[in-house]
Amino acid sequence: MSESHESYSSHESHKTNGTHATNETKTAGQLNDELLSSLRPPTRRWYLLAFFLGAVVAWGLFAFTWQVTHGMYVTGKDRPVMWGFYITGFVFWVGLSHSGTMVSAILRLSRANWRRPILRAAEAMTVFSITVAGLFPLIHLGRNWIFYYLIPYPNQRGLWPNFRSALLWDVTAITSYIIGSSIFLYLGMLPDLAVARDRSSGRRQQLYTVLAMGWRGTAREWVVYHQASTLMAALIIPVAVSVHSIVAWDFAVTVVPGWHSTIFPPYFVIGAILSGVAAVITLMIIIRRAFHLEEYLTPLHFDNMGKILLVISLLWSYAYFVEVQTTWYAHEPIEWEVFSFMANKYTFLLLLMLVGNSLLPITAMCFKRLRRSIGVMLSVSLLVNVAMFIERFLIIVPSLSHKNMPFIWGSYRPSWVEISVNIAALAGFALLYTFFAKLFPIVAVTDVRELEVREARVPLGRAEVPTVAGEE
Amino acid sequence: MEILGIFRDIESAGRGVEGLLRAGFTEAQITSLTSVSYPDGVLVKTDRRSWFRWLALAGGIVGVVAGFCLSAGTAWLYPVQTGDKPIIAFYPTGIVTFELTMLFAIVGTMVGMFLEMRLPPLGKRLYDPAIAEGCIGISVTAHAGGEIVSCGRGTTPGECIGTIASVPVKEQKSLAEEIMREAGAIRVIAEATL
Repeated sequence: MSESHESYSSHESHKTNGTHATNETKTAGQLNDELLSSLRPPTRRWYLLAFFLGAVVAWGLFAFTWQVTHGMYVTGKDRPVMWGFYITGFVFWVGLSHSGTMVSAILRLSRANWRRPILRAAEAMTVFSITVAGLFPLIHLGRNWIFYYLIPYPNQRGLWPNFRSALLWDVTAITSYIIGSSIFLYLGMLPDLAVARDRSSGRRQQLYTVLAMGWRGTAREWVVYHQASTLMAALIIPVAVSVHSIVAWDFAVTVVPGWHSTIFPPYFVIGAILSGVAAVITLMIIIRRAFHLEEYLTPLHFDNMGKILLVISLLWSYAYFVEVQTTWYAHEPIEWEVFSFMANKYTFLLLLMLVGNSLLPITAMCFKRLRRSIGVMLSVSLLVNVAMFIERFLIIVPSLSHKNMPFIWGSYRPSWVEISVNIAALAGFALLYTFFAKLFPIVAVTDVRELEVREARVPLGRAEVPTVAGEE
Repeated sequence: MEILGIFRDIESAGRGVEGLLRAGFTEAQITSLTSVSYPDGVLVKTDRRSWFRWLALAGGIVGVVAGFCLSAGTAWLYPVQTGDKPIIAFYPTGIVTFELTMLFAIVGTMVGMFLEMRLPPLGKRLYDPAIAEGCIGISVTAHAGGEIVSCGRGTTPGECIGTIASVPVKEQKSLAEEIMREAGAIRVIAEATL
């Protein structure tokens, strides 16, 4: 505890500013204080939150241990439904991870200045959600202790993973995405780590010193840094698209009715962006409230994110319509059976999904006043993700329940073990995010300060002009 | 030898740079240390050419080879006949190769970036934590006569070492300190004083 008190100091007294701007502009020290406020010593509420989330994760670990010691029969999985809540969770979390890096990369490439305060929250979300997603296939495996059979290395067992299997594409894509998005997150943090290094002491300073790699902010370092950031953004977008396409191929390359469809990869990608954008909005609201960043995460940011949500929701509705309309028109008996079964058995969930993913975001996000309302944005973004989890469930379970052989049709109900593990995954994600926000700058400090410098105005005669030309 | 002047604002830092240039230092000898980036020419002019992208490309090529060997090569070494599918199939090979290509290109970009920035540094370099609080650092590298200097590709010796090189390093240091203090530096530190 004492370590944390000495480890991060605010520089309230610093009144230096590199911009020599007008009086309304905050000094660099003030901006640093406000934007790095999340690094201050944890409060009692923070510890309570961390303890609560840790307890939920511990419960999930207990449930998983129960499954390992008793066998897979403790889950609700049984023939014909051998993919249940775990794979639902996997697809959901991969989807969630999709948008963070992608939104950040697209906004970086398009040089949208409003992106700056939300970059870090989005990029961190990607890293933690893809990490959580990567755990689900391992939990789902069954004999989890031999998961290393999946790893390609010469062995005495004479086994080698079959790379023609879509599941191995998953392993490859997710590994690439975890590494790629972690590098992307780290790259974005590099100058901020140097600022944190210069304002901290003790163990924290040691950590930031190692991670900042001796960054001094020379003109040459900045040039190379910006070029590398742009290139990295361009490289990470196709990886993000490919990851969710590959997850979609897990389904689409099978001959299971309801899955064997060419629309699946783009439909999954659109759904992933929808849930990811909604999650970024939720996190922005939480971070804004928790760290008092109202001045930096303004209604403008929610307005713009709301517009993105509107466009993606329209695209999702279009893709869903295309999928259902094609199936309905062809009326292939077994295909239509899956849709009928879903509509009859899961009517409420289906309606909730359509309202949450389509009807509500499209109607609400058309209005500027609603897009700028924090309460509305929180409700809509949360409901989108609830609906998206349902969507993943409705893709997986009805198709497996009513496959091609009617004599083994069945249904599925998740057990307490599966529900516990899924809730623990959510808590684990939140816990990782909570630790991250306490340990690293959760707002891109130098990005925001750069914008302040660019937007600072100096008097020139009777007029005020921008301090610096807006070159990136 | 490096001399670092710390300025409170961008105007005085700019004056410092101009003074140094007038005294015979070259653009290549002067750089700025800032906690936010400024457009080129506001403080100093920097060579915008970079080579790290070649390392990203090299990473991508290594990734292509690694991906192809992992999917097609190992399928050939450990053949598993499934249905009527070929042992080396086009689409799976393409997907795995693509993923590894992108992964290695991303890693190559990061490694190349750090190599080009020369980070992490091998020795201790001049710095002042006030830079994080918005102060501007102007750093000058003074070269001794007869010292071997790497000028970089496409740069003539006259561009990377100014006429000031004919003056002993100690005098260069004193001159740079004087110019920066006159321009408004709040403090000047030099390597020898570390």
